[in-house]
Amino acid sequence: MTGEGACSVTEGCITCGDVAVALIVVSMVGMDARCRDEQGREETVAMELVGTVTPGDRVLVHAGVAIEALTRDSRTSKASRTSHMTGSGE
Amino acid sequence: MRFVDEFRDPELALVLGTEITALCDPGQHYKIMEVCGGHTHTIYRYGVQDHLPDNIELVHGPGCPVCVIPMGRVDDGVAIAERDDVILTCFGDMMRIPGGNGSFLDANAAGADIRMVYSPLDALRIARQNPDRQVVFYAIGFETTAPSTALTVLRAKQEGIPNFSVFCNHVTIIPAIKAILDSPDLRLDAFLGPGHVSTVIGCRPYDFIARQHGKPLVCAGFEPLDLLQSVYLIMKQLKEGRAEVENQYGRVVDWDGNPRALAVMNDVFSLRPYFEWRGLGSISHSALQLSSRYADFDAELRFAVPGVRVADPKACQCGEVLKGVLKPWECKVFGTACTPETPIGTCMVSSEGACAAYYNYGQYAKQRIHLEV
Repeated sequence: MTGEGACSVTEGCITCGDVAVALIVVSMVGMDARCRDEQGREETVAMELVGTVTPGDRVLVHAGVAIEALTRDSRTSKASRTSHMTGSGE
Repeated sequence: MRFVDEFRDPELALVLGTEITALCDPGQHYKIMEVCGGHTHTIYRYGVQDHLPDNIELVHGPGCPVCVIPMGRVDDGVAIAERDDVILTCFGDMMRIPGGNGSFLDANAAGADIRMVYSPLDALRIARQNPDRQVVFYAIGFETTAPSTALTVLRAKQEGIPNFSVFCNHVTIIPAIKAILDSPDLRLDAFLGPGHVSTVIGCRPYDFIARQHGKPLVCAGFEPLDLLQSVYLIMKQLKEGRAEVENQYGRVVDWDGNPRALAVMNDVFSLRPYFEWRGLGSISHSALQLSSRYADFDAELRFAVPGVRVADPKACQCGEVLKGVLKPWECKVFGTACTPETPIGTCMVSSEGACAAYYNYGQYAKQRIHLEV
């Protein structure tokens, strides 16, 4: 999100800090969406990288672009997966 | 606050700390590197280290996007910005990174038109609004940010905006981890993997760390309990003699990453043969440049830049800090000549930088007390 504390010379920059913010889609505007955070602040976010979203969906936003949709069923099913790689000595 | 409070529960933190301690061999010292600067920030903001036994040491890695920008690249940006017809745009922390000839803030004060943006899409908007000026986006960041830049270039091409270009400094995390693993002066037991980078690239690219180096990696979220649970998972692996890639941040990170973001990056970018990282030196295939299909938007082709390698100030030990060889407070100028207000090195600039995190959250004083004892 833009605004106070999001990106400033003195307080630091959330983009530089690799911070991503979870927002809720409010409405679609062409390829973008108006999204809202828990404090009610709104932002226009590019949606090309997450495919189809609808109002009410949650998306992870970084630098004005949604980089992941958070409401898909697949998210929880993959929460505990591991690669089952063995150590080099085994 | 939903999705936040449950990850900051102090009672759960105490429970996790106890369980982590139970997994430790008291006679062994464990070194775990948190690769991402965001993790460093959380660790010192919330005192995560205080919940860990003394024989677990968290080592700070190179994953702060602005910290790894070499001084010569800053000078290149200043050289572009000094042109009368150019508006240079960049993220906030980049403004204060010292170059050989000053920072972007210094250049601004001297008359250059350098504007802070939150998104590369903001830079594209400025280009639309200023068709008689060249608007350059000074791109930095890892794979979290690179897709945003790629998407912006795609939009610029689709809209036919000729006065927009990108000075690309995007870097990739895997070659940096490889360089650290190959470093002879650092012995690490495991890694906390970068959460938001992994949102884009997934968990599979880390397989070599477990398979070839026999070290666990857990992709971790950014709340205090995320990090404690990730340390717990690492210690469980070490206790059981396993080396695996695990995903603690499953509520955000998909095992395969974001295929759309990866496809856009692959279309717009190509790997540079070499790129200089501050502190780590030149690492092959570790950074991105615009691919030939998008050469019209490449600021390095559009403008002449010095392209000169500039050595870090002798007093600055950011390189050792970025590799985890030195703790920030062990740097000769930490907290004296180098502070967040007057940074000498990059690690003191960004809030995600290890030195700034130490300085801002009191670890400076704490560690000095330990030294005096």
